[in-house]
Amino acid sequence: MGFLEWLQNTPLAIFVAETLWAYPLLETLHTLGMAMLLGALGLINLRVLGYKPALSLIGTKDLLPVAWIGFTINAVSGLLLFTSDAVSFFSSNTFRVKITLIALAGINAAILSRRIYAEAGGAVSAGGGDTPNKLLAGSSLVFWVVAVICGRIYAYYPFYSF
Amino acid sequence: MGILQWLETTAVADAVRTIPWLYPALESAHYIGIACLVGGIMLIDLRLLGVAKKLSIDLMVTLLPWVWAGFVINAITGGIIFIYGATNFGTSSAFLLKMLLIVIAGINAFIFERMARSGRHSWVLAGAAPAPVKAVATFSLILWIGVVTTGRWMAYV
Repeated sequence: MGFLEWLQNTPLAIFVAETLWAYPLLETLHTLGMAMLLGALGLINLRVLGYKPALSLIGTKDLLPVAWIGFTINAVSGLLLFTSDAVSFFSSNTFRVKITLIALAGINAAILSRRIYAEAGGAVSAGGGDTPNKLLAGSSLVFWVVAVICGRIYAYYPFYSF
Repeated sequence: MGILQWLETTAVADAVRTIPWLYPALESAHYIGIACLVGGIMLIDLRLLGVAKKLSIDLMVTLLPWVWAGFVINAITGGIIFIYGATNFGTSSAFLLKMLLIVIAGINAFIFERMARSGRHSWVLAGAAPAPVKAVATFSLILWIGVVTTGRWMAYV
């Protein structure tokens, strides 16, 4: 028996799959986590792209904990949802694209936050971001939005070929 | 034939039933709408409650058009999804509770806008919300968490 079969037969996975309230509760948490993550990172990325230049760029650093809480909620709730149907999730290309996009968005956010918050107070914070920062911010928004869309497509077309 | 049954016979309902990509597209737009609406309002509420104090309340309140854009996207996409499944949604207690919570959240947002306008030269520019405003912000967070929760539960009850 492979790892994924083992995983979806653990008591935890069966609990998620078969308890009446567990699945909708995890989906609700996943949706709220998404709003926290995209809300906070969305504003930071838009600010770097030049939206609301009067808004303090270094001040947006305090939104990172909101994004992290949203990410953690979604990593935990997402993993639990995954365990309940591991074989199907893992073999779905829609799901694989979503996870790839999240990985790219994560790397992107790590690079961008290092660039903007390390240099804040200098030219970068005054201007809202140079061209590389804007490219990182713009691609980050695209990655997150497409990741959300992949999550929704997965529910109906897990084996959609792109 | 009742109005709920009639809605399901309309061209809109028919389109959602027959075009394979339409339902996931509507749901995707609804989720992006949630990110704008709930994400936006949550940032404003958290700021009012004292998170990220370096961001001026005056500017954070100008994020409200994102909240409205999310609301409009979700009213349209949600409306179409409702027409498609009118007999299910129209009789779902989770859906009715969701609509009630949205109305209360709307009234709450209206009260907040009035407070922000009258407090424009006092707490808004000073950057510290007084207790009644914090109460409205807390209530707003609870209401929108309730809206998302009842929305997800609609698929099950």
